[in-house]
Amino acid sequence: MIDRLQQFFHRVICIFRRKKLDHDLDAELAAHLELAIEENLQRGLSPEEARRQALIRFGGTQQAIEQHRDARGLPGLEVLIQDLRYAVRALFKNPGFTIAVVITLALGIAVNATMFSLVSAFLLRRPVVHEPDRVVVVTSINPARGFLPDSNPVSAPNYFAWREANDVFSDISAADEYRTVSLTAAKGKPEALPSAAVSSNYFDVLGVAAHLGRTFSEGEDQPGRDHVVILSHELWQRRFGSNPSLIDSTIRLNREDYVVIGVMPASFRLLGFTPQLWTPLTLTVEDRATAARKDHNLHVFARLKPGVTLEQARLEISNLARRFEQDFPETEKGWSAAVRTLPDFLVYNFGIRNGLALMMTAVGFVLLMACANVAGLLLARATGRQKELGIRIALGAGRLRIVRQLLTEGLLNAIIGGGVALVLAYWGINFVATKMTFNEAISAVPLTLDRNVLLFVLGVSVFSAVLCSLAPALRASRTDINTVLKDESRAASAGRSHSRLRTVLVTGEIALAMFLLIGTGLLIRGLYVIEHQNLGFQPDHLLTAGVTLDSARYKDAAQQVSFVREIIPRLQHIPGADTVAVTSDLPATGPASVRMQIKGEPDLPTNQARNARDAVVSADYFSAAEIPVLRGRTFTEMDSATSSPVVVVNQEFVHRHLRDQEPLGKQIRLNVTGPTPKWSEIVGVVANVKNYSEAPDEDPQVYEPFLQRPVSSFSIMIRTKDPNALASGLRGAIEQDDADLPLLHVMSMPAVIDLQKGGDVLFSRMLGVFALLALVFAAIGIYGLIAYSVGQRTHEIGIRVALGAGSKQVLRMVLLEGLKMTAIGAAIGLAVALPLPKVFAAMFTGLLFSEPRLYFIVPLAIIAVSMLATYIPARRAANVDPTIALRNS
Amino acid sequence: MTAAKLDLLQGTLDLMVLQTLTAMGPLHGYGIARRIEQVSGDKVFLNQGTIYASLVRLQQRGWISSAWGVSSNNRKAKFYSITKKGRKQLSEDAVNWQRLASVMSRVLGMQEGGE
Repeated sequence: MIDRLQQFFHRVICIFRRKKLDHDLDAELAAHLELAIEENLQRGLSPEEARRQALIRFGGTQQAIEQHRDARGLPGLEVLIQDLRYAVRALFKNPGFTIAVVITLALGIAVNATMFSLVSAFLLRRPVVHEPDRVVVVTSINPARGFLPDSNPVSAPNYFAWREANDVFSDISAADEYRTVSLTAAKGKPEALPSAAVSSNYFDVLGVAAHLGRTFSEGEDQPGRDHVVILSHELWQRRFGSNPSLIDSTIRLNREDYVVIGVMPASFRLLGFTPQLWTPLTLTVEDRATAARKDHNLHVFARLKPGVTLEQARLEISNLARRFEQDFPETEKGWSAAVRTLPDFLVYNFGIRNGLALMMTAVGFVLLMACANVAGLLLARATGRQKELGIRIALGAGRLRIVRQLLTEGLLNAIIGGGVALVLAYWGINFVATKMTFNEAISAVPLTLDRNVLLFVLGVSVFSAVLCSLAPALRASRTDINTVLKDESRAASAGRSHSRLRTVLVTGEIALAMFLLIGTGLLIRGLYVIEHQNLGFQPDHLLTAGVTLDSARYKDAAQQVSFVREIIPRLQHIPGADTVAVTSDLPATGPASVRMQIKGEPDLPTNQARNARDAVVSADYFSAAEIPVLRGRTFTEMDSATSSPVVVVNQEFVHRHLRDQEPLGKQIRLNVTGPTPKWSEIVGVVANVKNYSEAPDEDPQVYEPFLQRPVSSFSIMIRTKDPNALASGLRGAIEQDDADLPLLHVMSMPAVIDLQKGGDVLFSRMLGVFALLALVFAAIGIYGLIAYSVGQRTHEIGIRVALGAGSKQVLRMVLLEGLKMTAIGAAIGLAVALPLPKVFAAMFTGLLFSEPRLYFIVPLAIIAVSMLATYIPARRAANVDPTIALRNS
Repeated sequence: MTAAKLDLLQGTLDLMVLQTLTAMGPLHGYGIARRIEQVSGDKVFLNQGTIYASLVRLQQRGWISSAWGVSSNNRKAKFYSITKKGRKQLSEDAVNWQRLASVMSRVLGMQEGGE
């Protein structure tokens, strides 16, 4: 072994001492011959004969030198170095060609790298917890349809039951991840912050330690001991100037004193969750009661017992869920539970996978087109280099050696392209990062050119090198020396299979461009329709703000009601304020879905239970949002806790649940949180509002009066001429009422909608860029290949012209050739693109993807571009002067 | 030419060089080649040039060493001599080779007797 190493070491050294060793060998061989000649002379031969004999005995000198070199060095490596040296020379010999190849590859690779940085950031980054694959998240599966119905949060009674009954978890914890607290620092205004309430063992289950101080200890989730708080690294930096002595000091949260016991490390971040601070989750006897089963607000994190598999945990949890179903049919019917590993859950729950898969597919196609272009270029050049390769083969270069040489050149191109792509991708990633700020969960994820992206770029570069140089290399290696070295190498027959390969490339490229353009066109059109849809209310001139009433000052429903009763008139008095309302959910921002019953109608089976979106609104909500009232009345101040319960429904509700019968006077019961719900009478019907501003769906909707069912977290909505001018008035009015109450997200309604749609706009812009790139690549590819083939055929065209073909005929011939390729390619692309609307509809529920016009516009655009790309070289061909063309060859 | 046959031939030449250097002491490349030719009864079985690949290989393995010197008729030449490691290798290889040779001659003898 050591001998081997030593020998290898010697061989490597020999590669670098090549000159000296060759010189030494020359001297040695010269000495050899002289010694031999001398001996022959002594034997009485003539000087000439002596030399001849010596040379014969020695054998081929060059051969001996080669053998010596092979024996002393590493022949493979030396060949590679030689190939590289040769490739570099080839690159410099033809800089225009090299630049075209490098830029094409760099663009193709750069868009891939930029997209992949998103994949890396959102899908590949593992949560920084101890053994993330042993941590599982248990979620409820909602029998009702909705957004990700199988990753619903869990109710407290179920959490307790799992904690007590399961055999598969070594530890289990719960978190209420979406709370809002108001933080009042010593100086400055109160600030509303996203927070999470977690059970005391939450950080132990995840296996994460505090950066400073400690995490919660046992018993701190009991009332009385629960006024402790852990800060996120970011909040600690931003609000407290990274002050290490903050630990054990007191801060004001929701008007109460909390002791800061720890600061989490900056790396602790779970995708999709953005709490700025953590407080203990206190669960009381009430949370165990049957009534609490409707309240799904906990995320359950558990660590698997050693040796227990995910499958075993799934089985156990679904068995338990089935038992709940039997024990509590009223609330648990149809519900079941899912178990996922933490990394899986985070990615799934974030719901970004489909979008990214689609983007990666699109950029993958762009790269394929770039490779096709480069392959076309290389192929064209390979034809030009035939003579050179022919000479090399004639001199004894093996076919394999020629293929290796060309692959090395391709690899060098791709590596340089990859390098340039890295620079472009760096810009691209920074650009996307500045645009990816449409919500906190997205902007919390840093986009960087990380190791995954680097590896990806390397892989893609090598892949493209092989892809775009293999075909030309194999072709070149089959070079026929005889044909090539003869002078008439431009004979039409020699180019036959070359032109076939080129035709395949161009046709394929057109098909890809077609497919990509139709695909992106459908998506962009789908998103455009959504962006410009009528939402069912008037978002302009609305100012909104979020309020969360803390339980310290607003303990019960009566206090929440009196706050709203006081604040609405106060806000109405702000100069410029038109109509004021409060609502649990702003219009078109996805109110929650609840199950319901209709008096006099039998209950339906669970899987088709009646559901309606439910919002709690104040009296003037409909006039403030300008939602048309179609039948009956809306709410008044008289619809209060003491009067009989009433609701307003939308048109879709009447259509779907009442089969368009008379709605007024009908009684319904909503299965909402809190005490046993009462029957409520439908007193009015309003027009439909979209569930979300970014989706076309309109579900049945129920509105409840705030005074009858107050909530602690709601939005204020003010109709006014100039929302931005009113913001300070709004803040002032709230401050007069309660100086410690922070307002969350004071912004105009259009801004709320933009924020909600932000991702889609970016998404369609990016798709547009890719589509454009694809079209440009296709045009360049077609132009390059047609131009090249016309150039190659100058001789032939010259003969045609000399024999009497007019320039019109030549023009038509070349154009027809281009048109044939375009037509075939477009037909293939069109055929492959036909099922796309169905595929997209399955991937993006709610979006409409029918746009028949695209199937005309895109082919026309492609034919126009390719005709233009063909016309320029065709005209050149038509103007060929036969005397020059024939003399040239 | 198959790899096994090539290896065998390479090994054979290496062995001859080692043996020659053991028997004759330090020699230059021409001397080694001539000596092998003489011993083999002047039957030319290899090009003399081939010897240099063998020499560089043996040297890299540390079985022989080389130094520039002056030949008997006052010419500058590179002289090779066997090292301690080379002697050890030679004795091992010689035993192997003899074993192989005897097996081969027996096998070939069997064929002749069978006809």
